[in-house]
Amino acid sequence: MTKKDKKSFHQSLAEWKLFLYNPTTGAFLGRTAKSWVFYGFLAALFTFTMWVMLQTLNDEVPKYRDQISSPGLTVFPKPVTALEYSFSVSEPESYKGYIEDLKKFLTPYASEAQKNLKVCTDGALSEQKGPVYEACQFPLNLLEACSGENDPEFGYSQGHPCILVKMNRIIGLKPQGQPRIECTGNSKGENTTTLLAYPPEGNIDLKYFPYYGKKLHASYLQPLVAVQLNYTASSTPKEVTVECKIVGSKNLKNYDDRDKFLGRVAFKITMRA
Amino acid sequence: MGQKTPRIYSVELNGAKDMKQTDKGDGKDKYRGLQDNCLELRNNQRQEHLTKEIDLDDHKLSNKELETKYHTNIVTGLSSTQAAELLARDGPNALSPPKETPEIIKFLKQMVGGFSILLWAGAILCWIAYGIQYSSDKSSSLDNVYLGTVLALVVILTGIFAYYQEAKSTNIMASFSKMIPQQALVIRDSEKKIIPAEQLVVGDIVEIKGGDQIPADIRLLFAQGCKVDNSSLTGESEPQSRSCEFTHDDPLETKNIGFYSTTCLEGTATGMVINTGDRTIIGQIASLASGVGNEKTPIAIEIKHFVHIVAGVAISIGVLFFIIAVSMKYRVLDSIIFLIGIIVANVPEGLLATVTVTLSLTAKRMAKKNCLVKNLEAVETLGSTSIICSDKTGTLTQNRMTVAHLWFDNQIFMADTSEDQLKQTFDQSSGTWASLSKIIALCNRAEFRPGQERVPIMKRVVVGDASETALLKFSEVVLGDVMEIRKRNHKVAEIPFNSTNKFQLSIHKTDDPIDKRFLMVMKGAPEKVLEKCSTIMVNGQEQPLNNSTAEAFYTAYMELGGLGERVLGFCHLYLPADEFPETYSFDVDAMNFPMSDLCFVGLLSMIDPPRSTVPDAITKCRSAGIKVIMVTGDHPITAKAIAKSVGIISANSETVEDIAKRLNIAVEQVNKQDAKAAVVTGMELKDMSEDQLDEVLTSYPEIVFARTSPQQKLIIVEGCQRQDAVVAVTGDGVNDSPALKKADIGIAMGIAGSDAAKNAADMVLLDDNFASIVTGVEEGRLIFDNLKKTIAYTLTKNIAELCPFLIYIIVGVPLPLGTITILFIDLGTDIVPSIALAYEKAESDIMNRKPRHKKEDRLVNKPLAVYSYLHIGIMQSLGAFLVYFTVYAQEGFRPSTLINLRVEWEKDSVNNLEDSYGQEWTRYQRKYLEWTGYTAFFIGIMVQQIADLIIRKTRRNSIFQQGLFRNKVIWVGIASQIIIALILSYGLGSITALNFTMLRPQYWFVAVPHAILIWVYDEVRKLFIRLYPGSWWDKNMYY
Repeated sequence: MTKKDKKSFHQSLAEWKLFLYNPTTGAFLGRTAKSWVFYGFLAALFTFTMWVMLQTLNDEVPKYRDQISSPGLTVFPKPVTALEYSFSVSEPESYKGYIEDLKKFLTPYASEAQKNLKVCTDGALSEQKGPVYEACQFPLNLLEACSGENDPEFGYSQGHPCILVKMNRIIGLKPQGQPRIECTGNSKGENTTTLLAYPPEGNIDLKYFPYYGKKLHASYLQPLVAVQLNYTASSTPKEVTVECKIVGSKNLKNYDDRDKFLGRVAFKITMRA
Repeated sequence: MGQKTPRIYSVELNGAKDMKQTDKGDGKDKYRGLQDNCLELRNNQRQEHLTKEIDLDDHKLSNKELETKYHTNIVTGLSSTQAAELLARDGPNALSPPKETPEIIKFLKQMVGGFSILLWAGAILCWIAYGIQYSSDKSSSLDNVYLGTVLALVVILTGIFAYYQEAKSTNIMASFSKMIPQQALVIRDSEKKIIPAEQLVVGDIVEIKGGDQIPADIRLLFAQGCKVDNSSLTGESEPQSRSCEFTHDDPLETKNIGFYSTTCLEGTATGMVINTGDRTIIGQIASLASGVGNEKTPIAIEIKHFVHIVAGVAISIGVLFFIIAVSMKYRVLDSIIFLIGIIVANVPEGLLATVTVTLSLTAKRMAKKNCLVKNLEAVETLGSTSIICSDKTGTLTQNRMTVAHLWFDNQIFMADTSEDQLKQTFDQSSGTWASLSKIIALCNRAEFRPGQERVPIMKRVVVGDASETALLKFSEVVLGDVMEIRKRNHKVAEIPFNSTNKFQLSIHKTDDPIDKRFLMVMKGAPEKVLEKCSTIMVNGQEQPLNNSTAEAFYTAYMELGGLGERVLGFCHLYLPADEFPETYSFDVDAMNFPMSDLCFVGLLSMIDPPRSTVPDAITKCRSAGIKVIMVTGDHPITAKAIAKSVGIISANSETVEDIAKRLNIAVEQVNKQDAKAAVVTGMELKDMSEDQLDEVLTSYPEIVFARTSPQQKLIIVEGCQRQDAVVAVTGDGVNDSPALKKADIGIAMGIAGSDAAKNAADMVLLDDNFASIVTGVEEGRLIFDNLKKTIAYTLTKNIAELCPFLIYIIVGVPLPLGTITILFIDLGTDIVPSIALAYEKAESDIMNRKPRHKKEDRLVNKPLAVYSYLHIGIMQSLGAFLVYFTVYAQEGFRPSTLINLRVEWEKDSVNNLEDSYGQEWTRYQRKYLEWTGYTAFFIGIMVQQIADLIIRKTRRNSIFQQGLFRNKVIWVGIASQIIIALILSYGLGSITALNFTMLRPQYWFVAVPHAILIWVYDEVRKLFIRLYPGSWWDKNMYY
């Protein structure tokens, strides 16, 4: 660095200092004290109005729930790209990520973690009055082959991969009828795909509803449905498009023009040998 | 010139010879001046062309030579075939209209002017962004394509709108300038035919008579008592006689050439067409005007300045945040999209269209007040005018001779000179008056055109020259039916006026059945008339004319002449019945009647009086800080008299000459600083250097330029512009067009103005009245103030539109306001209110302050930008953010959750995003909530813009001083805001492409406290401005 540069550096530093604080005008950040009073006042005012607004909120339940009247469906493991699972049966590395994701997702469902939860009666809503809200157990064995208990690789190594489907949580949602998740598979050229669902029929028990919110219902476990691909033919590679949707409940929508995930979900599995 | 009879000006009668001399000396210089201008204004090639054309020698040729030159025959004219060939060769005999910018260029200019470039850039960036998206992901959403298209549409639509507005105002002009096609009486194929003047060709033989416009440049072949008015060419307002003799080398001076578009006042003539259309002298001068560049209007400069400010802010914030975004590890693609958002938020898309509408509304209002504006921007120019160079005749005056004073019985009487005089109130009981009135009525050849009994006397059309018309109307008012009186007093002989005799005489039988004497009446140049008299009538009695009565006569004559009036003397004589029996035959050539020892009756003086509204208008100009300079071709004495009577020279100010006369010292000894007024003649002006002219213009507040040629007007205008003044110039002649073009605002006269002048002007005064200019100034100033308000109003919400993007980029909250939504504010809810501000009344008397300084008083100044952007704008943003946060919080996303949520929020693959309460949202549900947020933010801005609109009604006064309800249009504006918002939220709520959703009614009121705060804050601001004028607050907070 030449001397000249240094000097200009000092100059610019001085200019910056002047911009930060100008002793003659009392300007701070280029604005005078008077205007900082003004902005200070505005900031205080905004904080105050925000505070007033926050007072109108309830800690447990949002004021309005109109924009999520019906739940969306999501799947696990989380695919990397838009809802496409792609792996090779013979290469464990290719599905390792999926398995880890599933394991991670199922951690709260471990029997150890669930032991404090209530065992609820099947087939009825578990409405509660508080002040303490209890969560129902969701025993992992309901997922049978996809529970990961017997097959820690969730069927991926055998070419029968498991995908978990779940309904989004919505506070106060009480499904009518007997909701279940129905999945159909569509394989290119072949219609021999069979899909297995656990619990049987993809049933979702009403006892897991309603949900009372993160604060009141901290230990709540969502009911899950597992879908397992069961190929009869072994020609490779296989490409299956699976569509799942909620059926059997009047107040749970499974079709919306614009929302592709409202009560339904579609994903593709590409499986190589 | 006037030296022989100093301080006396009675041009028509005794000045004719002087006039001729003037012509000889002066006219040549005028011509030279014209050439000088050519040198200045045109390139060499064109100038040569002009010089060559003016070097025409047809006036020197004999009739035979002319016939040969133009292959025509003076008796039979051209043949139709010849004429058709020539017409095909030379084109029609009409001035080609000034070169117009092709419509497509005008249109394209609208497409790229102002903010359009920025928006185009935004649109192109959108398409590029989509291109990048598409190349990486074929299924990417078309949102960016839509946005780009919408932006392009906005540019195109506002462009079309601005183009349409301009075309509309030009059309008003076009319809206006359409004239009744002129006819010409031409001899072709030995037959007299009437053809449209456009079809004349060189060599045609045309006949003209009094009242006709000369249809082309013609060489006179025959003339009888022909007089022409060359004022539109030379500025010379006196009629000039024409004959077929070659009298001068200079084609402009010789009497045997008549010029295109000048008027033949009386007599008849036959002439050969020597030049047609653009090749006529007038045509060449008119095309000079196109050589003078059109100055950029002050408002155009202001708008450019404003566009620069806004574009500068937009680009610098845009680039700054682009860099910030990139360094925050946003993808470049996202950063580009942010850039677009910032540009769209910063550009007030609707503003330029609003300005156009506002200007055209004012233009309409001005048209109602007789100012027709051709160029919309001229509306404001008039408001910033600091010097008006006004014509005298017709603009300041009524453009008709009117009797102003009478002198009889040794007393001066004043006559009523107002526009609509119904009766004269001076003392009419004297016997002298009875005689005088009889002379006035009888010794007059002018007549009313028949069939005008119902028309007010002052408006009737008269056949006859200006003085005789004045006398006829005067006596009609005083005596009643003059025609009837003339019938009863049968005229037996008459000598018409001519410039050698300088008197007019007629002999009548009287209507007194007992008195059989003939009455001889005479009027003429006072001294000539007095020479012929030996007695004078006082109080109805004839008295011998002695020295003292002669003295009284001269004093009165001097006094009236000093007022710049034309003075006429009147005398009569009853011819003794024995010498002149009833059967006596009078012979005007032999003059077989007495021409001496007549009885002098009185004097009468006439002037073209000022319009009654003008003095008031001049006073207004003066209090408005506008200097009014009179520029006239008229005589200095008349000019000064009129200037004094209208107040251009105020009652107590003196010229150097006045002071010299008062102190009885030489002009050179007078301290120039004592003189406030100056009368500068064209002769003096010609010898002045630029610096000297500048000195005159700066050192005298009151200036009259007299005896100037229209060419000198251009010099005066340029001199004024060197003083940094915004100059308005009035003009009517073809020769005025360069000055009209050069002026910041050229004002043509609608009635007296030539087409060329109207073409060159920016504005046309429909009633030729100076007072209309002043109302125009008022409107122009008001519109400048109101445009400030409109711009302040519009700029405010730009901050509220910009902040969402900045917060979105930096804090990572879901986007609070969409780009399309911004367009709905700028081009939807905000349009009518910002136009409504144009209807705001002035806060104080805008005619009591100085014209704005072209370079210092900007339309958009620092206080305006700072106050709109950093005060009200910030307040508004906070208010809108409050609504936004309220909506999100009440739906489940508390502000703390929103921070840094952006990435997850916008991921299409995340369909179970958890809110503050543990609920999970699909992507579309979040999108819908985001749109609800847009709507909420939109409503927040809209509600506060209502407050903004109300505070912008005034800049200094309290709203309560201004009155909340005086401007009803404001309320229309507020209603339109609310209705558009209601439709967007509830009517189109389901059309998701527009990103609006139904918003709960209570959210409409969340921003109301902020709106009230804005109002209160602004009231406090205005209060401090009023309380502490000149303080820090006043300087920084008054825009």
